[in-house]
Amino acid sequence: MDNMEVNQDTIAHLAKLSDFALTEDESVRLEADINGIVNYISQLDELDTTGVEPTYQVFEMENIWREDEILPQEADREALLGLAKEVKDNQIKVPKVL
Amino acid sequence: MVGKTKYIPTIGIECHVQLSTKTKLFSEVDNDARQKSPNSCVSPVDYGLPGMLPRLNKAAVRYAVRAGLALNSKINLESRFDRKHYFYPDLPKGYQTTQLFYPIIGEGYVELPSGGKVRIEHAHLEEDAGKLSHENGDSLVDLNRAGTPLVEIVSMPDIHSAVEAREYTKELWRLMTYAGVTFGDLYNGNMRFDVNISIAPEGSDKLGTRAEVKNLNSFRSVERAVEYEIKRQARLLDKGEVVVQETRGWSDATGETTSQRSKEEAQDYRYMPEPDIPPIRLTEKDVVEQKALMGIPLWIYRSFLRKFLSEDIVEVLLDYKNLTDALFQLNSYLCDAMNLTDEKPATNDQRKVLSSKLKKIANLFSSVLLAEENSSLLNDELPTSEQLNTLVEMNEKNELSSTGMKEVFIKFFDPEMHFKDTRTIAKELGVVQENDLGELEKIVDAVLAKPETQKAQEDFKAGQEKVLGFLVGQVMKESRGKANPSAVQDILRQKLQ
Repeated sequence: MDNMEVNQDTIAHLAKLSDFALTEDESVRLEADINGIVNYISQLDELDTTGVEPTYQVFEMENIWREDEILPQEADREALLGLAKEVKDNQIKVPKVL
Repeated sequence: MVGKTKYIPTIGIECHVQLSTKTKLFSEVDNDARQKSPNSCVSPVDYGLPGMLPRLNKAAVRYAVRAGLALNSKINLESRFDRKHYFYPDLPKGYQTTQLFYPIIGEGYVELPSGGKVRIEHAHLEEDAGKLSHENGDSLVDLNRAGTPLVEIVSMPDIHSAVEAREYTKELWRLMTYAGVTFGDLYNGNMRFDVNISIAPEGSDKLGTRAEVKNLNSFRSVERAVEYEIKRQARLLDKGEVVVQETRGWSDATGETTSQRSKEEAQDYRYMPEPDIPPIRLTEKDVVEQKALMGIPLWIYRSFLRKFLSEDIVEVLLDYKNLTDALFQLNSYLCDAMNLTDEKPATNDQRKVLSSKLKKIANLFSSVLLAEENSSLLNDELPTSEQLNTLVEMNEKNELSSTGMKEVFIKFFDPEMHFKDTRTIAKELGVVQENDLGELEKIVDAVLAKPETQKAQEDFKAGQEKVLGFLVGQVMKESRGKANPSAVQDILRQKLQ
């Protein structure tokens, strides 16, 4: 990441992508926080990574898969729908999109 | 209004195929949500609850390999998953787990029945999103479909007409259903198409701006949407206006595409490697195994059918795998009966006999079984090779007329009769033709003795050929339809010389 600067435009863009409504105060604090995180990670830029394969995984695992069998679930429909703010006809009700 | 400029359309298609695995891509819940109550096939993983770990379904990986082989594609032995972020209520996690950088299926191609070729750029595994329905001011979310494994097949822009677009999508459907990786039920959204269309003046070396028509769920709507877009874009360019790069929706009812959202703000999916799913590493042996499990590929069925049927009937029959399977089985049955093997292949004469039999049955399939009024029979168990073979043989020996053959064939689907052998059914229906010449002669004599046939007999002797038909008809009536008409004609001619 070369010298990424996070400003209020970046925060507005990210908030829009995630559908977050931010107050001005929150937006200012987030700018500082995210800049801090980016700067911290940017220390890695000091390393010369020429010829190093990008890391997908820190554990050297592969083919972690399961058989195609239906198993009972710990949480049923009622438990899961119970987490939603509003439910109608066994469906999660959300403000109209599009 | 048709403008002066001739435009060449360029079309690329993305196709989402729902895989028919028992469980979802990352959770152990029922993947077949057809006719199921909303949110009844869900798990905490599909809900995207914090702390949940997705667990990759091995069968989905195997199906993807088969899909890739059906596309003549290179299978990438190493593939990985990535996260594609976007916010939408049908995607609880806030990202879709997909394969951007290392897809499991590499370059391939699809040969169109009409002879064209469409290259496949790549295809990848990903999860489906949930289903939204809209009412009044709200949207309702059903997550039964969230997490269903998909293979997304991305074509190169090798398609240049609406008809070709339809042909390509239909061929994909056949390839995927013959490979056994999907139910292929288009009505239930098992295959969905996004079509990218642009046009450019003939001879231009630059492509035009493209519009993407999303979420088409039938071959017909693919064809109509492409036709519509080509006209719409040509009208714009003729007027000196520009085509906007955007996503458009299609309405079957109005036959038009409409703008959904223009990409004034470019999509920002913030792809990143999926840390929860370790990479997939396959061996050549894994791929060979899947190839063996795929069954007979579509191209073998096609070349088999083309040996004895015209191309248009071949293409109709290929839409019904159970029918092509039945013909394939009948062929093996006949070859066995004729003691043919790979070492001892059919002679030219034997091949003619085989072809003639298969052709008769194929024609019954296409003219009787695929007739509108019999469409309900298509899901029934098909007649056995033995029943079909006897049916053709009886027709060849003139024991069954072609009408009689159809009547018996239909009874193969009658719950009261389907288990009986062909001859028994034919007898019960009373459609076995009388070929016993002695028997026939008696009937002919009886008819010729009747007073009402005397005039016709004289007329025939006087040279009026036409009245022979009347006399044959009388004999047929006397035999209650069981006489073989051509045998009757011969006997009548002899008697009236």
